[in-house]
Amino acid sequence: MEKILNIEEAATLVSDGSTIALGGLSMNSLPMALVRELIRQGRKDLTVVAIVNGMAVDWLVAAGCVRRLITGLISFEGLGLAPNFRRAAESGQITVDEYSEFLLIARLRAAATNLPFMPTKAGLGTDILALHPETTRLEKDSVTGEPYVACTPLPVDVAIVHAHAADRLGNVRVDPKLLWMDNEIVNAAGKTIVTVESIIPHEDFVAEPHRTTYPRFLVDAVVEVPWGAYPTSCFPIYTHDKEFFSAYSAAAREPEQFQAFWSKRVADPDTHASFIKANGGDAAMTRIQRRDV
Amino acid sequence: MSREIVGADYTIDELMVVTLSRQFDNSTRAFNGAVSFIPVCAYLLARRTHAPELVWAASSIAIDADPPRLGESTLSDSIWDGAVMLSNSPFEFWAYAQGGHYNTFAFRGAQIDRFGNVNNTVIGSYDKPKVRLPGGGGMADLSCMIPSIYLWSTTHNPRIFVKKLDFRSGIGWGDGGQHRAELGLPGGPKLCVTNLCVMDFHPDSRAMRLKSLHPGVAVEDVQAATGFDLLLPDGDIPVTDAPSEEELGILRQEVDPTSMRLREFQ
Repeated sequence: MEKILNIEEAATLVSDGSTIALGGLSMNSLPMALVRELIRQGRKDLTVVAIVNGMAVDWLVAAGCVRRLITGLISFEGLGLAPNFRRAAESGQITVDEYSEFLLIARLRAAATNLPFMPTKAGLGTDILALHPETTRLEKDSVTGEPYVACTPLPVDVAIVHAHAADRLGNVRVDPKLLWMDNEIVNAAGKTIVTVESIIPHEDFVAEPHRTTYPRFLVDAVVEVPWGAYPTSCFPIYTHDKEFFSAYSAAAREPEQFQAFWSKRVADPDTHASFIKANGGDAAMTRIQRRDV
Repeated sequence: MSREIVGADYTIDELMVVTLSRQFDNSTRAFNGAVSFIPVCAYLLARRTHAPELVWAASSIAIDADPPRLGESTLSDSIWDGAVMLSNSPFEFWAYAQGGHYNTFAFRGAQIDRFGNVNNTVIGSYDKPKVRLPGGGGMADLSCMIPSIYLWSTTHNPRIFVKKLDFRSGIGWGDGGQHRAELGLPGGPKLCVTNLCVMDFHPDSRAMRLKSLHPGVAVEDVQAATGFDLLLPDGDIPVTDAPSEEELGILRQEVDPTSMRLREFQ
């Protein structure tokens, strides 16, 4: 079965009110192009699972797509706080359901493996557990009496991840190997959309099967989007664009200024190519290319 | 905030890095999270001086990385150069952490209490926060898994060192005493290094205790900057040991030549 879709088609796999999980970590490999398309299509009332995230969540929140956020950490790291996330959480526009990184991984793994819960010691003695006593249950081993946390399955409708290459059947390479927690959300999700830097021949997968990360049966759609993680990184091809992060944070200090920035550099461009152009085009992409590869 | 120390040829950030670095040895296997310039500098400095076998996974991913300079993020590929392995987060990193292969972790918080518990989630109530902070990330996990925990703060003041956290995102010594052991958690916080002083934890109560004062800082200054009663050690309180010329040279010229660590002092 052919899995290649264009970005508009792929985004329709996400319906209003559904639960999506975003891949990547912090400044790295967030599926920005697909997220931007969800914004363009005006998706509403989403529950967003984002383990360690920043710009993708901030965009979705800025555009009013999010009702509930399930997360461990949202920031721009050394480049500042995520301004729209912060404002929306403080005003009550979104509900933030905070977990720790590993508690989310454990919940996703329980979902992926059809188990009633995954045990861990993560979170013991913190206030995180009391936020959601039904999904991170404090229990004791019935034999030894040792305390642990039982993490119940976290159901996800659609996982959205960015990767390096795919074939038309939906086999995917994260190449070099996967560095984030994306496989946890791909394994847990009902459907998966993968944006890739390039579509490559199916024969390449057969020739080097050890380089495959996700087999086609896990993947529902692949979309070819070069620079698809921009302004976050796609290691080792390009790093994050700190100019974008800094300009975004600076603009966010003042609503009118942010609106102008948002329209020009995020929301208005009607294709991914015009989005890249609005952010400096080839010159900007050359700037973030890693020269050591 | 001034980093100058009157009469000294080094600054507070350098003293903090060097103090932390001297805690580590060849058995240290460390990694780092977001905005962790001070501990990252300390790991790199220790490896270049007295602890050549020290393991550091940059961003918790790039094992044995040896970057020529630090980037503006400690959680991005800007500090991965020279690594011998890029480890996959769920299957490798978390196994190394839970299995006790990694044994050292440093974190800080928007609030720190006297047992070394930290808050990085909200100021105010959880449901109606006055300030929504980024979130604890892996803090709740790693504070439970890693035996040697170090805390640091570049802004020692009563808003950070508080009597009661608004939210406990990461556990230090918990409620104090045996609490951590009762939960079946290994080790606990060893030291807290700030811009004013170095503190350890009382071996029984596990409450924070002054260990040494940075040059020019008085006990009263530290107590005034701390929102809880700080324990004092028996006898005189020493001045924090000064960095050596060798340490300063390596830190300035090799570890962090572009002074990215100063991002923690803005």
